[in-house]
Amino acid sequence: MIGGDCNLKKIGAVVAAIAAVALIAFIAWDSIFNCTVTKDFFAMDTVISVKVTGGKAKECTDEIEKRIQELDGILTRHKPTSEISLINKNKGGTLSDKTAEYFRLLLDVSKKSGGAFDFTLGAVSDLWSFGKSPSVPDEKELAKALSESGYENVSLSGNNLTLKSGIVDFGAAGKGIALDEIRTILEDTKAKEAIISVGGSVLIYGKNEAKVGIRDPYGNAGRSIATLNLSGSCISTSGSYERCFEENGTTYHHILNPETGFPVQNELVSVTVISQSGLLSDALSTACFVLGIEEGTKLAEEYGCEAVFITKDKTVFATNGVAAKIEITDNTYNLKTYEN
Amino acid sequence: MKTKLFRKGDIAVILIILVVAAAFWLYQSRQTDKLEAVISVDGKVVEVIDLSKVDGKRTIELDTEPEIKIAVENGAVYFEEAGCDDKLCINCGKLSKKGDTAVCLPAKTVVTVSGANVDVMTY
Repeated sequence: MIGGDCNLKKIGAVVAAIAAVALIAFIAWDSIFNCTVTKDFFAMDTVISVKVTGGKAKECTDEIEKRIQELDGILTRHKPTSEISLINKNKGGTLSDKTAEYFRLLLDVSKKSGGAFDFTLGAVSDLWSFGKSPSVPDEKELAKALSESGYENVSLSGNNLTLKSGIVDFGAAGKGIALDEIRTILEDTKAKEAIISVGGSVLIYGKNEAKVGIRDPYGNAGRSIATLNLSGSCISTSGSYERCFEENGTTYHHILNPETGFPVQNELVSVTVISQSGLLSDALSTACFVLGIEEGTKLAEEYGCEAVFITKDKTVFATNGVAAKIEITDNTYNLKTYEN
Repeated sequence: MKTKLFRKGDIAVILIILVVAAAFWLYQSRQTDKLEAVISVDGKVVEVIDLSKVDGKRTIELDTEPEIKIAVENGAVYFEEAGCDDKLCINCGKLSKKGDTAVCLPAKTVVTVSGANVDVMTY
């Protein structure tokens, strides 16, 4: 039986050696082809988190950072040389192809939302001074700024834009535009998967699902009240908890009603919109917040998007297409499916 | 005839098993999560603190612009002092649960408690 023991040991050694080689090969393959690169940086006045797996992950993340810094220089109206600043200064101009496309889409959302979304409220927003030293504006100044605002003052013919009055501000769509730009880079560098956050506007890239937490409107920014299991989507949220301040016992938040120039007062504390397009998810989250649940749902449907509305009484309304993908993780909130 | 405790073949098998186990442990260790405070400035991690291992109070002063002071005590991390205007980072309060996050945009500083139950947050 000594010979039998020897054979068993040989077989055992061979099996163990094969297992070792296979494991090392798996780890090497995983490290090379599924290499994940993460990067956080600051741009567009917010935090940007990038996590890319596969493809040229390192090259991809570097390219994303470069592109977002460039985009910041194009879209912000706070840099005098940006394309948007020049449009505001010259009351129009000839746009680059990409910027013209952004304007076309945003004009469409403005029209379809009946003006609930309006990207010409720069002067009104300045009076509130959100993010700096906010205060309730003077009534007359607000009325004047509001009368000069309105998307109807923007006309686009080809790449030629005319701005009769008002100040263009891409604040309610810039993060979404960034997501669309990032997706193009992910495609070009053949990334396998990615999870991107541009100040809370999210892109889930690839076939695998990721768990997206919806922020607790009454808690820390990192705490969620529900999760969405999504793949290949852009997700943006507008909430009344962001950039708010208190004056004479009243709390004011940053989502302005284009009709009144004051923060929107309705039953909502946040709206999350899920779309294939970053620009649409971002712009529609603001539009749906302004419109409220009923009209907001109709608008989301018109664009083939899904939405999650959270009300002040902690009810979570999810549109039909996303109801099966949402899980409430905080039992003080109740889920309801909204049907028109 | 004296029998050896281990033969060459035995030692080879044991070594291979050890190598396999070590490689597997290394692979797994990349994927573990702890309740740690991760402090990063301008995208670079400058400090990782195991929240359960801080006795009393520990403060971390960062030479950022504006300057900020972060404190860790009783299993929580928080912005204690900040030279920024809006003090939004201080208003975030104490961070003690997985995923809790506070940001000071002017100082480009992020404090987060690692090990979140979600992949990403929308807000």
